[in-house]
Amino acid sequence: MALSPVVIQAAQVLTVAVFAPFVSGVLAKIEALGQGRRGPRVLQPYYDLVKLLRKEILVPEPASWVFLVAPALAVACFLTVPILIPVLTSYPLPLGIMGDILAGGFVLSLGGFALALGSAETGSPYPQLGSSRAMTFGALIEPAILFVTFTVALTTGTDLPYAEGDAVRASLAQALSPAHVLVMVAFFLVVLNDTGRIPVETHASTLELGMIDEARTMEWSGPLLALVRFGSMVKQFVLYVILIDVFTAPWGLAGSRSPGAIGLAVVALIGKALAVGTVFTLIDNSFSKLRLFKLTEFMAAVFLLAVLAVMVDLAGLG
Amino acid sequence: MSPGVLAAESGVGSFQSFSVALTVAVLLCEFAMLRAPLSRSQVRIYAVQSLLVSGLAADVAIARHIPDLFAIVGLSLVLKVVVIPLIVLRLISEAVVDLVPSHRLGVATMVLLGLVAAGIGLFVVGAVHVHSRTLPTASFGLSASAVLVAFLLVVLRADVVSQAVGFFALENAISVASLVVAAGLPLIVEVAFFFDLLVAVVVFGVLMRVHHRRTGTLSTSALDELRG
Repeated sequence: MALSPVVIQAAQVLTVAVFAPFVSGVLAKIEALGQGRRGPRVLQPYYDLVKLLRKEILVPEPASWVFLVAPALAVACFLTVPILIPVLTSYPLPLGIMGDILAGGFVLSLGGFALALGSAETGSPYPQLGSSRAMTFGALIEPAILFVTFTVALTTGTDLPYAEGDAVRASLAQALSPAHVLVMVAFFLVVLNDTGRIPVETHASTLELGMIDEARTMEWSGPLLALVRFGSMVKQFVLYVILIDVFTAPWGLAGSRSPGAIGLAVVALIGKALAVGTVFTLIDNSFSKLRLFKLTEFMAAVFLLAVLAVMVDLAGLG
Repeated sequence: MSPGVLAAESGVGSFQSFSVALTVAVLLCEFAMLRAPLSRSQVRIYAVQSLLVSGLAADVAIARHIPDLFAIVGLSLVLKVVVIPLIVLRLISEAVVDLVPSHRLGVATMVLLGLVAAGIGLFVVGAVHVHSRTLPTASFGLSASAVLVAFLLVVLRADVVSQAVGFFALENAISVASLVVAAGLPLIVEVAFFFDLLVAVVVFGVLMRVHHRRTGTLSTSALDELRG
């Protein structure tokens, strides 16, 4: 029995939506164990979301409709990206090639922009500080993402995520070529930055001085806060999927349309996401946060790796 | 065109890929030295870089059957990975080390300048098309960019240790270049290079000590002040 491509495409989005809190929960547990704590239950993010959905919404006085719409818009943006990237299948699905890596990046940034706009509306200082910082550092990391895209374009002749995954699967030499290794490391660091992990941000901290993304969520409450939290889990999972299925390990994807293959791909994806996430938690537990004004050095390092990748590729060494 | 065909056409063999990756790592080490805040970490990164250069030489020796190179690998492992870093670390431990980093410019600016230098090395020198029997021709461009970034390290860091380490890193980059151009040089010529390096170590050691005794610091920024 073969599933219809439209159903599989829906399954891609659903997989991300349903399992994103699970991945976050397991990673929180692993991180806690690494610090010698018992940690929350693995399913805690689901309980938190349900609890928040039952609470009332409080809106700050200066906020307008933008504040109310922003969380939903952000979640919608983050859930659009799985349509564009190989989540479960190695072959493109309907609408899968309507956008390239840049389009995916734009849609992700649109979600971030909506949140920044919503939190800047509240009139309270910390969310405004958070949104201003998020935009500033987002602009600094953007050039590195562009150069990552350039390398993908140089390797595959297109900048579709599916084509890059194919290129990596096609030959191990390609996967281990210097340009590709540089791009992998650069993108890994980009994900580190975008998921608010150490050394960029302490994601579980309540200390406002070093906050970037966390500071933005302070004024939302009830179901809106649930959406914001859910959005950041989805964004994290989506970035892991891009890192895994496009750059580092695009193996274990379904090659056919049978339900069994798709089911296996879901299990494989969650396994790989947890493996990658464990690396992130290890980094989280073993390094200290950079001072805010030292973050440009981190961004410069990411930019260096991405530009070197393009140079090495152009010089014919990739 | 399928990606598999693309990869086959570019002729990326596993040996070439590995040697290029090592050369890129040598270049990245220099960027790491450029930003490293402490002199000690610079010296450690230099040891790692020397290890990479030795690895590259061993790789060429095995893949191209040039047994002479193993002598170079041995010498370089002993001298550049162990002895020279130990000597420099000892000299540093005897001195009063400034805790203020000696960067003349911000780290991000230095990285950008380094990228420009690396680009010039890679594309201008790489365009010369030196024919090499041992390594991919374009590796010559990479080694040239390593040379230029080593120069930047000497220019942009205002302390004596960085300048010594920068000079040693320059020697490493030239070793890589010589592996590309003339891996089969007579052994005696290659060994002569090592004596040059040893002389440089002695000279820099004396310079560091004299500078430290006269100014009481390792920073060279004290040198442009008039003293009565």
